[in-house]
Amino acid sequence: MAQHRYCDGVKRRDLLKVGALGGLGLSLVDYLRFAKAGEIRKPKATSAIYIRLGGGPTHMDTFDMKPDAPEEYRGKLKPMKTNVAGMEICEKMPHLAKVADKFTILRGVSHTLAAHELGTKFTLTGNRPLPSLEYPSLGSVVSKELASPPDLPPFVAIPNTNQGAGYLGLQYGPFSTNAAPKLGQSFSVRGIGLQGGMTLADVSRREKLLAQVDSTFRSIEKKSDVLTGLDEFSEQAYNMITSKRARDAFDIAQESKQVAERFGDGEVGQSALLAVRLVEAGSRFVTITTGGWDMHQDIYGALDKRLPGLDQGLAALLTTLEERGLLDSTVVMVSGEFGRTPKVNVRGGRDHWPRAMFMVMAGGGIKMGQVIGASDDKGQGPAGDAIAPGDVASSLLHCLGIDFHKEYQTSIGRPIMIVRDGKLVPGLLA
Amino acid sequence: MKHVSTIAVAVLLCWGGSSHAAELTPSKTPGLTGAPGVIKRADQRFANAATKEVPSFQRHVLPLMGRLGCNGRACHGSFQGQGGFRLSLFGYDFKMDYDALTKSEEPRVDLKKPRESLMLTKPTSNDDEHGGGKRMDVDSWQYRVLLRWVEAGAPPTKEGDAEFVRLEVSPLEVVFKKQGEKARLRVLSHWSDGSVEDVTPLCRFTTNDEAVAKVDLSGEITVVGTGDTHIVAFYDNGVVPVSALLPVTDKAGPKYPSTPTPTKVDELVVNKLRKLGVVPSETCTDHEFLRRASLDITGALPTATEVTSFLSDSSSDKRTRKIDELLNRPAYAAWWATKLSDILGNNEGKLRNQGGVGSQSEQWYQWTVRRIAENAHYDDLVAGIVLAKGRTSSDQSFEDYCRQTIAFGLGNEDVTERATMPHYWARQNMRTSNEKALSFSYAFLGVRLQCAECHKHPFDQWSQTDFQQFTAFFNRVTYGPTDRSQAEKMLAAAGIDKKLPNNERQKLLKKAIDAGKIVPQDEVYITASKSGARRGNDKGKNTGAGRVITPKVLGGDEVVDAQYDDPRQPLMDWLRQKDNPYFAKALVNRVWAHYFNVGIVEPADDMNLANAPSNKELLEWLASSFIEHDFDLKWLHRTIVGSRTYQLSWQTNSTNELDLRNFSHAVPRRMPAEVVYDAVVTATAGESELAKRADEPATVCAIGMSRGYTQRNNGNNYALTVFGKPKRETPCDCERSNEPSLLQTVYLRNDKEMFSFISRSNGWLQDALKRLPGSEGSAKADGGKENPKQGKKGAKSEPVVQATPADVIREAYLRTFSRFPTDQELANAEKYLVESSSPADGLNDLVWALLNSKEFLVNH
Repeated sequence: MAQHRYCDGVKRRDLLKVGALGGLGLSLVDYLRFAKAGEIRKPKATSAIYIRLGGGPTHMDTFDMKPDAPEEYRGKLKPMKTNVAGMEICEKMPHLAKVADKFTILRGVSHTLAAHELGTKFTLTGNRPLPSLEYPSLGSVVSKELASPPDLPPFVAIPNTNQGAGYLGLQYGPFSTNAAPKLGQSFSVRGIGLQGGMTLADVSRREKLLAQVDSTFRSIEKKSDVLTGLDEFSEQAYNMITSKRARDAFDIAQESKQVAERFGDGEVGQSALLAVRLVEAGSRFVTITTGGWDMHQDIYGALDKRLPGLDQGLAALLTTLEERGLLDSTVVMVSGEFGRTPKVNVRGGRDHWPRAMFMVMAGGGIKMGQVIGASDDKGQGPAGDAIAPGDVASSLLHCLGIDFHKEYQTSIGRPIMIVRDGKLVPGLLA
Repeated sequence: MKHVSTIAVAVLLCWGGSSHAAELTPSKTPGLTGAPGVIKRADQRFANAATKEVPSFQRHVLPLMGRLGCNGRACHGSFQGQGGFRLSLFGYDFKMDYDALTKSEEPRVDLKKPRESLMLTKPTSNDDEHGGGKRMDVDSWQYRVLLRWVEAGAPPTKEGDAEFVRLEVSPLEVVFKKQGEKARLRVLSHWSDGSVEDVTPLCRFTTNDEAVAKVDLSGEITVVGTGDTHIVAFYDNGVVPVSALLPVTDKAGPKYPSTPTPTKVDELVVNKLRKLGVVPSETCTDHEFLRRASLDITGALPTATEVTSFLSDSSSDKRTRKIDELLNRPAYAAWWATKLSDILGNNEGKLRNQGGVGSQSEQWYQWTVRRIAENAHYDDLVAGIVLAKGRTSSDQSFEDYCRQTIAFGLGNEDVTERATMPHYWARQNMRTSNEKALSFSYAFLGVRLQCAECHKHPFDQWSQTDFQQFTAFFNRVTYGPTDRSQAEKMLAAAGIDKKLPNNERQKLLKKAIDAGKIVPQDEVYITASKSGARRGNDKGKNTGAGRVITPKVLGGDEVVDAQYDDPRQPLMDWLRQKDNPYFAKALVNRVWAHYFNVGIVEPADDMNLANAPSNKELLEWLASSFIEHDFDLKWLHRTIVGSRTYQLSWQTNSTNELDLRNFSHAVPRRMPAEVVYDAVVTATAGESELAKRADEPATVCAIGMSRGYTQRNNGNNYALTVFGKPKRETPCDCERSNEPSLLQTVYLRNDKEMFSFISRSNGWLQDALKRLPGSEGSAKADGGKENPKQGKKGAKSEPVVQATPADVIREAYLRTFSRFPTDQELANAEKYLVESSSPADGLNDLVWALLNSKEFLVNH
């Protein structure tokens, strides 16, 4: 009989199968099989952490300083040397300066979308936004493409993210923690782990009751996709709810005090610690979203509040990943939606500036300890070839062994590449 | 050159609507191909090496290249081209393609040495010399078509050449008898000079379902499986679907059992089922009907009392009366206004902020709720949105407009009293004419024009020119400040510096409004017609050819822009025309899809020629009857829900168990996000809360939630997001997801919010426990920490009414499954309660299990 197409262009019958590969529905056998397939493909990394600096962080005062530019451009802060010769960053980031061999700065990243929403979509999806199409965030692409353990969400957003699964469909959407963890405090996420004083025995008892109560459709269960789907999810939900591993992965309080304090007491730092734990447990993509970078006025006051947390948190993230042997298998990316005006405005701030921005990348597949690309002498635009957000997204996916030219189909059967317009950033990859 | 904007131009395409092309054609055309006057097939004419015929670029050369695959998306149809050669995608831009072949830096034709033309050498060479591989043989008929054209000097299409009129395909329906049977299609193209050519060897053919029928290049169909689908023929901008059907059982036709068809809908549905040999299921039970109709019409579960009284009613017309009763409930208006808001993109985060005057989204929603409750004619309701301007009367001054807008926002004036609702045109994602056209055709026509924005629509008749002409209706529709100087005066009078950053300005505006001042407001208005004079951006858009684009309705007439103060007027007039091919169909199809899980055209918002309806007669009857009933929405709902077809059981028989498109049984479907959320809240609510929810759904329930839509997310409701509430950001019905997902299951099983719904202090469970003798406290899983007093409170107060465990179990079933438990279920539950550590724990577990059951989550 005729079947019809769903949002992601797959036929109804195929949907559950595809859903199963999305990670959330994967059996352990499948997982192992895919992990094996992954070995054959040899991706450099198997997980990613994306730190989003919402509002558009200034490039001029952080990772792309212009000490020789006129004062109204270079601003008040000074660069400092790092442990990599010739690579300088802002003096307010001493922790990062000590581990510069563990990351790479991209300068002269450039696009033309100066509105927050559009720039955000561009950088989170790798695709210049279209009005008629909602692109999936990179995390959704990764959850669709890479397998993950059955009791863990493949794509976690701390505390949430601006971009969902777009045309890929809800099942590839982020699992939002809805809150950021705090230093020294226990942390858990909605629905994961036993809630409200329930014990494993309580859960099993209820499951039995449910099986008994829910028998009406037994005769047609296997013929209905919806009913089959509900049954499948039912089993997986049980895995996740009762998994001690899943609950433990979210609970940063299980880290030693020494490790936890290394990340600082800020939101970014503790979120980064959670990201490490999740990646360690097998999540494929973790986003950390932090705001406050839209500094239209008094930028130096604002930077005093924001930079220390980023500096300490990001440095601790890289160090800890390395200590645990995860830096080689985790690709890390830091980005906002655009840079800020090279010239400081009358209110002592900087405004939106997509023509020149910075990004930071590290980890598996990345050649670290270098600067790729450049902006011109006043930080106004790229000097030489610009790096496009699509190029960076392509490179990130490449590190994860994902073919960024692969085509999906949208709801109207329109074929669309994962990254519509992207190429690998020259020199970035190891 | 004359500007056509002052001249009315008659119909360009004589074949208008979605399926009319096929209709105009007699379905029996024996002998037509052999008939005098029909030009023979190109493969026959060019089989002869001696032929002197010069083929036409438009009629032969380009279609052939399309068929060879040259202009496919992966080949030269790619926007970057391929190997330095680019053709228009799916080949409809004759000028561009002609230029690409003949005038580029590296022309594909060589007039001096025709056989060395790249367009001949490339497709006849192998992979290493041609990325696309070998497409044809040297000296084949295809080769000869291209060669003769080059030899003749590669003549272009000239002005005055005959234009393509329509495509005629025969047969239009093939009913097969057994697997493996074949049938051959014949395709004729009709041209404006009266000539007719057999273009079968120049067409593209596709199948809509390979599991039923396949089609090869020559137009030969092979049936491979039971069921029905369409084979589609493409040539020029003609697209014609052919129905192909292989009965599912031997009960087809005369052997079909006698089947009741009490309504016209049933008759039309069974007509199709008879061809397929599919027998519909029995009708559903009363409790299933009540639950299904309540969820579908009002987005709400029936209450326990309602179920009881409906089941005990023995009158024969109780279903009919129930339908009318449901249609008169506030929840019907709340729910269907939400459905309409989805389609129109009523999203708070996408509406442009008016200085501190409340929620435009809410205003728009309540305006719609009122009209649906009053059963406004659908065309009038749409006209109220399509023709809306900011000012409520033509002589309203700017200042009075601002005053009134503020009054609407503050609730001092009732915005639902407005005759029209302008906020649709204030959407941020509908600023450009292109965005307006895409949104409009999606919402009111069920047509997706996105493809034609950049190239010929691959599955429909629309070209880029059609798109641009349709877009021209919206060029003068504007939203923003009208009178800047007065606006500045008003700002100055309110003491607000217009140069302040937006967020600070908004704060001051709000303060000024609170202080009773009038601040300027943006408005929807129509700019003056340019009537030939052009200036700036997209107004009076000028094409490369120096033509001013004339507004033209899709597949219909051009319109004289300057004759109308408001170009939306002729557009609205067109929507209301009885012969409008889309307007009524789009609505009845969407409503049908709501009740049956799939549309007659599916996806319901993709009415293109290649996506043929599964039951054309049914769609046409519904649409024309809807128009005859003056677009009466309640008539439509009554007609659908009152049919036997809607009231069929989900239990299938051996003939219909695989049917998903022909409505032979009910399909279990997950409740929509808002409905499932409300169902959980209602099923667990105490009596007083139930009454409020029934009376004020548009303000209390999730089905009446309009404000929640923000730019970032689906609002702040986690559960609604997880259950797939649409974001209302892109024009696609698929934004709403009714698919199950893991997160949904995790939420229902294990979320604290779920636990607290079940055990809330004013909820049903606590009430039931009070009535149960021997109950000592609230259940464990409500997260005892949050409400430590609940249990004690329950134990302390005196039992109100004594109830037995069986009474309480029955109530729980009625509230969730909308039926009484069977004896076995009752016994099982009683046993479970007895064995539980406390009645509270036992009952809590039971409610939890009922809410997590498929029988609860699925509308069946």
